[in-house]
Amino acid sequence: MRSEKSAANPAGSAPDRLPTAAKKKKGFDFFPYLINIPMLLYLFGVMAFALGWGLVTSFTNKTIGTTAVFNGLTNYKYLLTNPDYIQSIAVTLKFTLLALLFKLLFGTGMALTLNQKFPCRNAVRALLLIPWSLPNIVAVLNWKWIFSNNSGIANYILKSLGIVDRDVIWTGVAGLALIVILVADVWRGSPFFGISILAKLQTISNDYYEAAMIDGAGPFTRFFKITIPFVKDTMMITTLMSCIWTLNSFETVWLLTGGGPRGATTVMNVFSYKTAMSQMMIGRGLAVSVIAMPFLMILIQIISRKTMKKNAE
Amino acid sequence: MKKMHKILPVVVHRIVLIFYILCAALPIYWMINTSFKTQGEIYSKVPTIFPKEFVLTNYITVLSDPKFLIAIKNSLMVAVVVVFISIMIAFPVAYSLTRRQFVGRRSYSKLILFCYLLPSSLMYLPMYMVVSKLGLVNHTAALFLIYPAFTLPYCCWILMPHVGAVPTSIEEAAVMDGCGKIGVMYRIVFRLALSGIVSTAIFAFANCWGEYLYALVTLTSSEQLTVPIYLSNLIVGDMFPWGEIMAGGVIACVPVFLLYMFSAGFLSGDRNAGGVKG
Repeated sequence: MRSEKSAANPAGSAPDRLPTAAKKKKGFDFFPYLINIPMLLYLFGVMAFALGWGLVTSFTNKTIGTTAVFNGLTNYKYLLTNPDYIQSIAVTLKFTLLALLFKLLFGTGMALTLNQKFPCRNAVRALLLIPWSLPNIVAVLNWKWIFSNNSGIANYILKSLGIVDRDVIWTGVAGLALIVILVADVWRGSPFFGISILAKLQTISNDYYEAAMIDGAGPFTRFFKITIPFVKDTMMITTLMSCIWTLNSFETVWLLTGGGPRGATTVMNVFSYKTAMSQMMIGRGLAVSVIAMPFLMILIQIISRKTMKKNAE
Repeated sequence: MKKMHKILPVVVHRIVLIFYILCAALPIYWMINTSFKTQGEIYSKVPTIFPKEFVLTNYITVLSDPKFLIAIKNSLMVAVVVVFISIMIAFPVAYSLTRRQFVGRRSYSKLILFCYLLPSSLMYLPMYMVVSKLGLVNHTAALFLIYPAFTLPYCCWILMPHVGAVPTSIEEAAVMDGCGKIGVMYRIVFRLALSGIVSTAIFAFANCWGEYLYALVTLTSSEQLTVPIYLSNLIVGDMFPWGEIMAGGVIACVPVFLLYMFSAGFLSGDRNAGGVKG
């Protein structure tokens, strides 16, 4: 999970109004083009080139160590008729929807809680951010230990509470394995929602609430008529960004469950990794990414339109 | 009754707050706790809230493993070099996007946002093909080529508001004083946006430091690893050495937390105040 780091400013800002000084230019100015050359070289020379090559290779039977031979739509036909692939898409969607729902819920709760006045507020805020600032790998390994079948603390707590009477094999049952990866993902992802929504909450002027109170609005009316409309856009952008990252989770699932039991937690990327790296079918693994591409493009397009609009306001 | 009405929300708030604090802190406490236990105590029937026998063996074991030291060296080197290059390339981009007019400026900033949001899972196989064509598989050098794919767009995008926030009046004053274009960019704007640049660099460093998927596919020999791959490779056999894994995890958090503390403690405050009079 990369770059869930820009929380205080999840969407960044886009340039819309230039300082007036920059506009008063005589003649053609080469300077902005020149200083962008290294970036453009990398964007097109490496990234676009790699993506293009990947797209072409998805139409071949490329495996690790052999040369690619075009095989038309064979990879795509194989995937779309492969029950394991179909299952992995269903699992990805289920996992993403549930994870987003809980992250939004816990994140909003966290933002509302932190938005009140209480002692040591800054320290608590920093503490609640820790799950999200840890390297993901550390968080994932820690959850693997907590949900371990052998001496894991989760089993011990459930046993001492009398909920179960023998050790639960967390990664052995489809529903439980899903819970494990959800817990790990939600634990790490919620602070991102919390901090983004909190940043927006702090911009709401108290005047609105005071005016509403004078007009006799109760706490629920104030929440739904003032708070929610204010933070709605931030919630939307944060959810969409997190949606991209959750759809593409890899190490959380790969290290916790390995995709098991029997494919019950094989999300799209675990499927693509297994296809490309374990079975060495690179072409086929690439086709998995290529199929996902248009959907991700749509998501990215929605986010960038919303971000640009937000910044234009 | 009136009092009840006032106290109840506060009580509910504190309960929710404590719930959040426990949720965040307990798993981390468990990791630290485990890292100081012996293997016997870790696998005991009844887990101990505090190590019965407080040992540093796990830390000593991982830190005396040359492979772990190599992994730390590799991770540090890759992260530092990649972040340095990314900032050097991204700063002019952010500068030109916020301060200069040129053809295609809007589409260009859209393209950068697009790359920033492009998930690594779409890029890892194409990038793997590129590095294997270049014969860089199993070389940490491959990561120098791959990691900018996420750090560069990230740095550009996050730097833009920081660069945009530098007052234009200072820049104009420098031009009046005869400062050239490159001089304005590096000697004025870069210095004034420095706190934003440093915090962007810290986040980019953390992203590189914890990166897993690219490193997993490119580095397969057990001699040249990065810290995340080294840690995940400890999960072998029947009895995982949880003490060592947790100790390694704690060590892996150290640089990131030191940098975050640095950025929170030393980078606050308005550096640009008083730059221009009147």
